[in-house]
Amino acid sequence: MITYIIRRILGFIPVLLGVTLFTFVLVRAIPGGPFDTEKGLPPTVMANRMAQYHLDWPISKQFLSYTMGDDIVAIVTGDEDARNGTSRGLIRGDFGMSTAYRSQSVTDIIATTLPTSAQLGIMSVMLALLIGVPTGTIAALRQNSWVDYTSTFVAVLFLSIPNLVLAPLLIWLFALILNWLPVAGWGAKPPYIFGFIPQVADWNSDYFKHAILPVFALGTASAAGISRLTRGSLLQVIQEDYMRTARAKGLKERSIVVIHGLKNSLIPVVTILGPMTAALVTGTFIVEQIFGINGLGKHFVQSVGNRDYTLLMGVTLLYSVFLVVANLVVDISYAWLDPRIRFD
Amino acid sequence: MSKKNLLLAALMLMGILLVACQPETVTETVEVTRVVTETVTETVVEEGETVEVEVEVTRVVVEEVVVEAEAEAMEEPVTMYINWGTEPPSADPALSTDTTSVDFVTNAFVGLTGTDPVTGDVQPALATEWEASEDGLEYTFHLRGDIPWVKYDPITGETTQEVDEEGNPRFVNANDVVYGVKRTVNPDTASDYAYVTYIIKNAEAINGGDEELTIDDLGVVAVDDMTVQFTLEQPAGYFPSIAGLWVAYPQPQWAIEEWGNKWTEAGLIVTSGRYVMESWIHGGELNLVKNPLWPDADTVQIERIVGVMVTEASTSFAMYENDELDTTGVPSADIDRVKADPVLSAEFVNAPYPCTYYYGFTNNKPPMDDVRVRAAFSMAIERQSLIDNVTKGGQEPATSFAPPGIFGAPEPGTVGLGTDVAAAQASLQEYLDENGMTVEDFNALNVTLMHNTSEGHASIAAAIQQMWLDNLGVEVQVENQEWKVYLDTIGNDTDLAEMPHIFRLGWCADYADENNWIHEVFNANSGANRLRRGCVDETCSETVGNEFDALTVQAGREQDPAIRAELYAQAEDMLAREEAAYAPIYHYTTVGVTKPWLTRTYAPVGGEQWFTWTIDQAAQMGE
Repeated sequence: MITYIIRRILGFIPVLLGVTLFTFVLVRAIPGGPFDTEKGLPPTVMANRMAQYHLDWPISKQFLSYTMGDDIVAIVTGDEDARNGTSRGLIRGDFGMSTAYRSQSVTDIIATTLPTSAQLGIMSVMLALLIGVPTGTIAALRQNSWVDYTSTFVAVLFLSIPNLVLAPLLIWLFALILNWLPVAGWGAKPPYIFGFIPQVADWNSDYFKHAILPVFALGTASAAGISRLTRGSLLQVIQEDYMRTARAKGLKERSIVVIHGLKNSLIPVVTILGPMTAALVTGTFIVEQIFGINGLGKHFVQSVGNRDYTLLMGVTLLYSVFLVVANLVVDISYAWLDPRIRFD
Repeated sequence: MSKKNLLLAALMLMGILLVACQPETVTETVEVTRVVTETVTETVVEEGETVEVEVEVTRVVVEEVVVEAEAEAMEEPVTMYINWGTEPPSADPALSTDTTSVDFVTNAFVGLTGTDPVTGDVQPALATEWEASEDGLEYTFHLRGDIPWVKYDPITGETTQEVDEEGNPRFVNANDVVYGVKRTVNPDTASDYAYVTYIIKNAEAINGGDEELTIDDLGVVAVDDMTVQFTLEQPAGYFPSIAGLWVAYPQPQWAIEEWGNKWTEAGLIVTSGRYVMESWIHGGELNLVKNPLWPDADTVQIERIVGVMVTEASTSFAMYENDELDTTGVPSADIDRVKADPVLSAEFVNAPYPCTYYYGFTNNKPPMDDVRVRAAFSMAIERQSLIDNVTKGGQEPATSFAPPGIFGAPEPGTVGLGTDVAAAQASLQEYLDENGMTVEDFNALNVTLMHNTSEGHASIAAAIQQMWLDNLGVEVQVENQEWKVYLDTIGNDTDLAEMPHIFRLGWCADYADENNWIHEVFNANSGANRLRRGCVDETCSETVGNEFDALTVQAGREQDPAIRAELYAQAEDMLAREEAAYAPIYHYTTVGVTKPWLTRTYAPVGGEQWFTWTIDQAAQMGE
């Protein structure tokens, strides 16, 4: 198992390198640049700004600077002026300076916004599981009963209402009409414990009041998917021979369903849970935008609009890392869920 | 009753009387628990005898005291709740370009000159007075010496004045101004707005990286601590406006050199304005508190500004409705509802905003290379109908470029082309007849209108497309592109074949002078010239100016305000009517709502001046 994990982690390197190179070239291929404005900068000013971010260099040299740092550029190309640059390179954990937010590095931006997105994301995944797995299970066990039809109906409903509609609706009902919850915002602020857990003093009703609506909006859509998947998978498992054997042995119905049925039927659920968690933890644009939450989600969209090359690279790489790690965790958990799966 | 109780009773009575003398304060009774130590005489039986002894006892009493309710409220600073709308890209005066950043620097820093928050006129700020030399090439500013450089400590909550190496308190002086201007012009700073300082001698060359000049060749010197002198490239009657722009603000050299680009973070930033930065969570919130060391701090009523950064307009409006914000914009979808609502309509404000929405014609691309076609397209736009039915924000129909409030701007409707369908048809017909074309032939040319992707621009384009069809019978293709792709498409180095015939743009004031408008945007030789006027070849690598281009240059050099205004009016008319080089559509308005307890202004130019706003705190608290 350990060798498997190490082998997989080593496998991340070419994947991430590929993502870096691909994104790096692709973002620069989009028409328009980071400093194009409605007013249009005079050529002299434009040249100053391009020079500040090394955008006047050939793309290969830019890539070297981005990944390895300006001192390596100086050594490789012999351009001693490169030493005046500020890039220390990805290899030393430097994601570069944002072009749109002039005093902030990409690392700063991620450090400020990722924790909020992560809190929201983790709560949403938990809600999704708490609703999705039980309703799916009950629906499967009572197949074609009113419980099954109701849960199917509700699941389809939440799957098909986009957050763009659901979120403003929730605000209108719970904040404006009923006045129970605040309209927008997030109840905790940096600095966080270990960089992502809210300070103990923030664990109050205000924090949860702010979290309820966005967590509901994000969690229900995912819950609906999980519920459908659990139902389908469990229905299949119930037909298996080993279930009949378990019954024949005279086991209690509850332990048959939970230990033999549910555990085996969770493989498809866990499979989607990996990418789902990676996506929710790194932030979602629409829910964060509508609820005015200062998360990472907006940067995935705005950095493209701003042609903020460094920030766009940073969030893309971050998401890639989350995704490959989540997939590794999923693969490892297969072994636990289904003892037939062995990695050695 | 002991003496102490008597005294207390007397005090309470006095309190009531005092309160009674101030009829306007609300009084209320509260229970106060306090420990009272008093000496009482007790009778005790001691060894069969009855003796009176004095004993000291301590007991806890609960008593009712009348207090002024206001005394409690006073502890809460007068706070305004606003929405920045977005993260300010910078808090550095040299790097600020957008309205959000400019709102911050306007309130946190001070410039040589300021603007009147209502009229937008230039008025004294750091400089109490200034004069120009005879030839208009030198401007001398005399500074007031009592504005301190301050820093706010987020941990203690105290604002302290900066001191220099020798321990002397730092006040904003002429050297700080010189440093600020030089920093903006320095190419290493890479300031977007460096170009507005190009009127200063050698600024353009230095900013362009001219190796023969050093930053010290820039035309700005500190004559003494309280006097700054600028030397200009050419006379410029609008220079006092430029000198008051954020890019020319005094900047704290010691702080910038110590912290580099992190100097604008909360706790590090050194400022000189009415407000200091309390906290800045990037992308989340930026809060300000009043600078108690500002010389006229008493004139600033709002003590704290809490600013969130909610991008979604409908969320911001919901927060306003829920009393979480004191003022905000109205999303266009909600305008009709707000106008119909008895409460909200009273809070609704439609204030002019110094921006102009226009359609540019590509002046060297057939058929838009003919003035009759351009004039026909311009006159066929029914601007008032567009405003009433599509934009709905009470905008002002535009017939010229600079909006009212900008120095030299003609009154809308007095120059340029208004809506005149008959004249438009005649103008187009004349062109068609001369070229032996029919409308069908014209339509075969596939005239294209392009705008950047946005719901608002799309509905305006659809309406105008229909007006052109109805009024002229011409079919125009409407296309849209993502913002930066669009900017690339309409850029000056795009091939003429790729250029749309008509493109949408807007322009907003950097400073309140026509030079910033008609000259910087449209002048064929020294302006942005996206309209491709006076092009010698297709790619517009060289241009030849005409009478208009000479006129805007002359108006910029002129010293007499009356003559300048007259020249600009001529130039505006020439461009919009004689040349019909572009079609002005409307002057923007701010469509906003403000709670009744907030008294605010709408700055016609530059940042909002929160230090002039006031809040009725009692009303805000819901009393």
